[in-house]
Parts: sequence; structure tokens; C-alpha cells
Amino acid sequence: MTDRSAAAAAGEHGERSDGRTREARGPAGRRGDSARKHEAGAGFFVRLTSRWGAGALPPLGALVVVIALWQFGLKLLGTPSYLFPKPTDVVRAASDNFPLLLQSVWTTAYESLLGFLLSIVFGVALAIVLATSRMIEKSVYPYAIVLQTIPIVAIAPIIVIWFGAGLNAVVVIAFLIGFFPMLSNTLIGLHSTDQNLRNLFYLYNAGKWQTMWRLRIPAALPYMAGGLKISASLSVVGSIVGEYVAGIGGGKGGLGFAITQAAIRVQTDYLFACGLSASLLGIAFFLAVQGLSRWMLSSWHESAMRIEN
Amino acid sequence: MAGTVLREALVGRASSGDRSPQENAASQEAPLVVLRDVVKTYANGTVAVSDVNLSIREGDFLSFVGPSGCGKSTLFRIIAGLGRQSEGTVDVFGGDPERSRKQGGVSYVFQDATLMPWANVLDNVTLPLKLAGESRRDRIARAEEALALVGLADYRKALPRQLSGGMRMRVSIARSLISKPRLLLMDEPFGALDEMTRQTLQDELLKIRERDPRLTVLFVTHNVFEAVYLSSRVAVMSVRPGRITEEIAIDVPYPRGEDFRTTPVFSELVRRVGRGLAH
Ligand SMILES: Nc1ncnc2c1ncn2[C@@H]1O[C@H](COP(=O)(O)OP(=O)(O)O)[C@@H](O)[C@H]1O
Ligand SMILES: [Mg+2]
Repeated sequence: MTDRSAAAAAGEHGERSDGRTREARGPAGRRGDSARKHEAGAGFFVRLTSRWGAGALPPLGALVVVIALWQFGLKLLGTPSYLFPKPTDVVRAASDNFPLLLQSVWTTAYESLLGFLLSIVFGVALAIVLATSRMIEKSVYPYAIVLQTIPIVAIAPIIVIWFGAGLNAVVVIAFLIGFFPMLSNTLIGLHSTDQNLRNLFYLYNAGKWQTMWRLRIPAALPYMAGGLKISASLSVVGSIVGEYVAGIGGGKGGLGFAITQAAIRVQTDYLFACGLSASLLGIAFFLAVQGLSRWMLSSWHESAMRIEN
Repeated sequence: MAGTVLREALVGRASSGDRSPQENAASQEAPLVVLRDVVKTYANGTVAVSDVNLSIREGDFLSFVGPSGCGKSTLFRIIAGLGRQSEGTVDVFGGDPERSRKQGGVSYVFQDATLMPWANVLDNVTLPLKLAGESRRDRIARAEEALALVGLADYRKALPRQLSGGMRMRVSIARSLISKPRLLLMDEPFGALDEMTRQTLQDELLKIRERDPRLTVLFVTHNVFEAVYLSSRVAVMSVRPGRITEEIAIDVPYPRGEDFRTTPVFSELVRRVGRGLAH
């Protein structure tokens, strides 16, 4: 999975280095930074809606058809709600328990965000340390790969023992699951700096850290963006899995906890509502990160820009 | 043996008497770059260059022409202190190439403009000063000067991808000039440009040198016309292992302009260099 993402990132990267010669647009090409920033910020939503405006009808239509089939099919069959709730049952369960559901979504979002931020900080920091020294990388990175292959569910109980049931353990699990993609993508990015640019920095006597901050990190940004997207989705998965194991009791349980509770009580309609909320949360996370990385790369990365010809 | 003869020929030329008094005064100074019996063998056994002897004086414009893979870039890397020769000695500004480079005074222009794609023209051009820790005010002042020199004063905020290939090369040249080098190494700088742009940039390079006649330029090209048009000397190199087989002086005074291209002398020199290459 990380390999694939790295390849995708490399592809995006390659796209910019293909030496595409575009005629200068003269003064029009210098529309100024403020204009470009504006485009990158607000433009994200404009682009989303305009892209969806035209292309939204078919998937929306399909959605309506599926929901209708779901609703009337189950009604015709007379399937009991505890086995397979109808869409209306799910909506009713969600609205009846709305404050509780919102609380669960909020808790899971909070845990995921914390885990995600930790995986960014530690993933990027460790990648930078590894990239500064071949020796360190050769001695440490193999273990990082081995650790990554351990199924997180298998070590979750240990984490609960170490960090105590509750928020801490859940955040650690969300962090662990998002950490490796961040690390490996950043590391690949830091290693794929253009050789000519490296020579240039060397010729101008740049120090190790100058090369890191001014060249290698900026050049790695597209790869980091790839890592961010993977880690963001994984951290939501991680916190829900974490809650299955570590749970947060009382009124503060997250979606994972709510799902276990609903399953025990056979509140299938509410269980569906929680599951759908979890998907929506994952999508929201993904879109937020996509917006963030577009903004991050807006100044230079071709694939993040609208191609103007 | 051939190397020794050649060396004598080259080094000897520096003190020969058929020059104007002015030029003689300049040539009595120690050469800027001296290569003696330089051999470079890469770790995989490739002998890239062999028996290279060169003496480059301040203000020289020396072009290297030769087939691909004959070691032109290898030679440049050695002179810039990016790599070491396997045998022989290399002397830049009277000392070790790497040390001379660290003291500043050597700039490099690659075939590819080698700009940071995320940074605008101004930030790309000021990079050498930034790395050297110069103040922001100095950086900007000198960048304006360098950008004006290459005709890009209005493009400070543009990103590399908004520029054409020729403009990107201009940015690269401005960057190489901003550190006020004594020695400018240009490795096929115009190789990827179309003929029109190439000729424009040739004239701009000549203009830059007119402003600063002490600037020494080493230039790699596949283009015989370009070599003759720009250079005061052309070194012809043989296939691998690269040796300098012939040195041709282009004794046509600067400033040179478009009309030089149509003179009989020009055609004759082009023919001579072309013949040297064919051997
Ligand atoms: N790092 C290297 N390791 C091994 N061989 C190399 C290396 N760099 C260049 N060469 C070889 O040395 C020869 C000269 O290369 P180069 O100096 O780039 O030639 P040129 O610039 O004249 O085209 C070529 O045959 C090339 O394959
Ligand atoms: Mg070369």
C-alpha cells in the first residue's frame, strides 16, 4: 500500500519534471501571489462544486435508486429492522439519538486528529533523521519496516495495558497506524531530490541542514502529501479499532465504542447510523487533507494546479 | 608523450611574443586554471579523460567540443571540485579546486536550468547569496542587477514553470553571475534551446562578458558554430578516453556581433574546428 502510494507520488512528481515547456505568459503569468493564494484557498470549494456540479447527477441518481431499492425492497420482504434496518429506520435512529451520535463522532474525530498529528510529527521527524545519515537509515529503517508488518489489532491490548483504557490508548493506536505511511513517503521524498539541484547546492557550499531545509524538504512535499492522504484515512480506522479494544466508557464513547454497544443491544438501526457516520468522518478527513495538500503545493506542484493551456 | 608535447604547446603559448602589449601584461600573470596530465578513471573502470593538459588565463573564453561521453562534464566537475582526478594535478586560482570553490569565485551553469520549481525567480537567483548568509538587502540589490543583465527584471515573482526554456536559462545565468564569479563553467547551457533562442542567448552572453572582460568562461557545446562565435579558444576532444586533440585559437577581437557569423574568417574557423572533430 505504501509502495503504491509512493509510486503514485513519484508519478505526480515525474509529471512536473518532464520539462514541459510552456511559453511564458508574460505579465499575465505574474498574476501575483495574492491571487494565487486566493485561488488555492477558496478555489478548493469552487473547484469541488464546479466539478461536482456537472458530474454530480449520475452518482446522485444512482444513490437515490439504491436507497429507494433498499427501502422498498426491505419493506416488500418484511425484513425485521433488527436484522436489516431500512433507510428511514437508520435516519430515525440517528435523529432520536442525535446528541449522543454527535458526541461519538466528535470523540472519534478528536482521537483521529490527535493520532494523525502525532503520526505527521513523528513520521516526518524520523524521516528527516534517517535521511541525514545513511548509517542511521541502514541500521534503523529495516526495523521500522518489520514493526509496520505487525497487525495493529494484535498489539492493541498491550497498548491498552501500557497507556490505560481510554483516550490515550486510542490515540496511540491511531498514531501507530498512520505513522508508517508518513515515514516511508517522506523518506522516499527526501531521497528523490533532483541530482543537479543537489550538485548546485554542493557547489555553493550549502551545509547539510541548509540543503535539508531549502532543498530536500521542499522537494519532498508532494511525497509527504501522498503520505498525508493515506495517514488521514488510516487514523480514522485506527481510532475506531482502538475504541473496540480500549473503549471509552460513560458519555464520552467514540464511534467504535458506540458501535460495540449498539451491537450488544441489537440496536441495528443505530449501528448503521454509527457506521455511516464513521464513513462520512473518513471522507471529511480525506477531503480536508486533500485541501491542505493542495494549498501546501499550490506554489509549485503541477498536479495540484488546474492545468491552463 | 603526446601529453607533454601538447602541454608545452599550450603553456608555451601563454608567453609567446605575438601579442599586443596589453595582452602580454595580462598573460604574465599566473594562469587561472592549470591542468597537468589529468586522468580520471571512475570506480567502474571507465577511463573518462586521459592526459589532459590545459592552461587557462584570466579572461579566456574556452569552449570544449567533442562527442558525447568524451569526458567534458567530468573535466568540469574536477575543475569545480565536485570530483577528484585520479592522476595528475589540477590547480584553480593557484590552489586546490575544492578549496578555491569554497572561497567563492566559481559558478556553474548546467544544461538543464536547474531551478527550484517551488521558488520564484528572485528566490532562485538569490540562492547562492542566501546560502552564503548575505543580508536580505544585499541579496535583493544584487538580484535586481543580475536580472536586469539577463533582461528579466519584470519577472521576479514568476515561477519557473511560467517561463519558457530560454527564460529559465536566463534565470540560471543570472544566478551564476550573482556571486560575482571569476570562473564560470557552462556545461552545454544552450543545448536544449531552439536555434533562435540559442543565438539570442549567445549574444547576451557576449554582452555580459563585455561588461566584465576579466570573467573567464569555460563552455561545453556540441555546436561548432556556437563554439567559434563565442570563444577565444576552442579545445577539440576525442572519443573516450577523452583527450584534447587540438586547440584552435579564435583570434577575432571582441566585441563580436551578428555580422561575424557571415564573415569568411568565421566559416574558415568553423571548418577547422569541424575537421578537428572529424579526426
Ligand atoms: N559517475 C560515473 N561513473 C562511471 N562512469 C561515469 C560517471 N560519470 C560519467 N561516466 C562516464 O564517463 C564518460 C564521460 O562522461 P561525461 O564527462 O559525462 O561526458 P560528456 O560530458 O563529454 O558527454 C562517459 O562514458 C560516462 O559514461
Ligand atoms: Mg556532459
